[in-house]
Amino acid sequence: MNPPKKVLLASHGTDGAQAAERLAISLCATDGKINHLLVVPDLWKGMMGDDWLNNGITRDRYARYLESELGREVDEHSRRVQDMAASNNLGYSLQLVLGKPDKCLVDACCNANYDLVVMGSPRPKGVSGLRSRMTLEPLVRGLAIPLLIAPHPNG
Amino acid sequence: MVYTQKSSALFIIGLAMLAIWYTADAGLLSGYIEHLGGEKYKYLPELITIPIYFGILSVVIGAWQWFGSHKEGHWDYYSSTVAGAMFILFIAMLVRWFVAPEVAVISTGMGEVGDTGKHLHKLLGLNYVVLGILAGIIVVNFFKVPEWAANGVRLSRLGLKTGVILLGTLYSAAELKNLGGLSIVMIGFFVLGSVGMVLWLGSRMKIPNSMGGVLSAGMGVCGVSATVASAPVVQAKSVEIAYTIGTILLWGVGCMFVFPIIGNLLGMSYVQFGAWAGTGILNSAQVAGAALAYQPDGIETLKVAEIFNITRVLVLPIIVLWLAVWYVRREENVTHQVNVGTVIFEKFPVFVIGFILMFALSTTGIFAPPNHYKGKFFGNTAETGFKDEKLLKGDQIATLQSESGSVQRADRKEALQRLIDNGKVMTIEDDDTLRGLANAKVMSKDANKILKGAHKAVRHTAKKVKAFRKWITWLFAFGLVGLGMQITVSSMRQAGGQPAVIGGIVGFIKAALSLVVVMMLISETI
Repeated sequence: MNPPKKVLLASHGTDGAQAAERLAISLCATDGKINHLLVVPDLWKGMMGDDWLNNGITRDRYARYLESELGREVDEHSRRVQDMAASNNLGYSLQLVLGKPDKCLVDACCNANYDLVVMGSPRPKGVSGLRSRMTLEPLVRGLAIPLLIAPHPNG
Repeated sequence: MVYTQKSSALFIIGLAMLAIWYTADAGLLSGYIEHLGGEKYKYLPELITIPIYFGILSVVIGAWQWFGSHKEGHWDYYSSTVAGAMFILFIAMLVRWFVAPEVAVISTGMGEVGDTGKHLHKLLGLNYVVLGILAGIIVVNFFKVPEWAANGVRLSRLGLKTGVILLGTLYSAAELKNLGGLSIVMIGFFVLGSVGMVLWLGSRMKIPNSMGGVLSAGMGVCGVSATVASAPVVQAKSVEIAYTIGTILLWGVGCMFVFPIIGNLLGMSYVQFGAWAGTGILNSAQVAGAALAYQPDGIETLKVAEIFNITRVLVLPIIVLWLAVWYVRREENVTHQVNVGTVIFEKFPVFVIGFILMFALSTTGIFAPPNHYKGKFFGNTAETGFKDEKLLKGDQIATLQSESGSVQRADRKEALQRLIDNGKVMTIEDDDTLRGLANAKVMSKDANKILKGAHKAVRHTAKKVKAFRKWITWLFAFGLVGLGMQITVSSMRQAGGQPAVIGGIVGFIKAALSLVVVMMLISETI
């Protein structure tokens, strides 16, 4: 099998996702391109909760703050992968979407031609983090291209 | 951007409301109403009035939204909220008029639970308020809030704030003074205590200052609202916000169901339960939910709980300021200064001014005579509106007589004896004392019913006050169904990590300790 030229990397910066980043970079053909799919989980839509006591100024300030925090994290993850790709002479593009991770990945694959999809493993039990995971079943049913899951570094 | 959607949804909701009105008014629902309790079913007057007004409104605006053309502008934005608001109202109507009574029928058919003397729905507080919040949670998590309703769902906050403002009309000066004093002491102690405890536990468990700050506000003051207010001030990370909100929502929703069960099992009075819910439940929305769950057809518990909620939200700017100073002092890389004026001004809850204004207006006699609460509307003579057929019957007197031995307090014993001797309540003081006796649930359900009847025979409510009570009930029902639509399982699932451990410890201690304090220090009436 020839090394893949167009790799779709699903990563959002966790330890498992960073293992996938390294694997995707190492597998991609020298003149290939990494398309970095970064999903902001739609659970953030519910992060205003059932607040009703605050006034508009406070709610707006909170929404802007949360948005900037998420934006800062996206920049951090994107810059890391971009630097790794550049040092390996690979092309890089970022696709940022809001939604359910598995659905967004299937949609991204349907909208473009990729040779390979690379993603990370779920974190081991007992390790804390956001509860927003790829559900494998809809993924394997929905994907028409090979899917590679990088083993977790602490797994 | 044009916000109003060309959708048939609002039009259909209007037709459904009109169908409810027509079938009820024409007697087509009489068989079903018989099944729901017959004469005991108390919502028939609402069924034949409320749906026709809102049904016509929905059909007219719905037809315009469906067939009309819409342009960008303020009117477009406001009109886009109508469909969502009617969607919430329609769910509240269905739950209040049909679902909750049906649950009661099924639960009654199952018999009483063990030796509690209560049916399952009473024990769990499964009334229209709790079921309405549940309906909202089900809609958002299983079906998603429809696009056309999204803007209107946000109006639920306005509904709750308006409800609190109107609630200002129902307090007497003495009530406000006593409840206000009590809430300042309780909230002061438990807010400061839980904020301090979270910060102390956080430093022991070595969590970041930003996480300790946001968690302490949420656990200590008013749940999600405090988290929203304090997160930017202590520069909380996104995952810390998620942990905190997840923990508070999970804990708050749990408390909303557990508190009424414990209150019922302990036989707490309305004042005791309102004070406990107002102190022990973390999230302010669930305080209102639990209060209405405990007493769905009256607002005494809500009145107490909301005073505690208002005290909490008044404390919020001070706590945010404290955390801001605390955070700046602890973090070396933070260079900005805390602007006291800006923090206080931005976080001040403006709607509380509305509440105070309505209270002030009510004391002028604009809604009811100024001495309404001092007893002008108390009358036990024919001249003051008492009817002889309201005198207690022989069997009712016999019931009270047979149970009078269970009453321990001397003042209650004496008031009860005067009621038995005269067949009616003789003084305002006796009325207050007997209300306390009924609320304390010392006597049987039948005896308490007789006491409530005796109270109603002598104490009359001004028409405007009665109307306010109805409006308040509906505004809270509307608001809480809408807030239910903003509680997502995905956000609750984020509860975890050290915040869940700290939150669990502090939340439990706060709930348990406030229960002990309330049971020891607070009497049945204010």
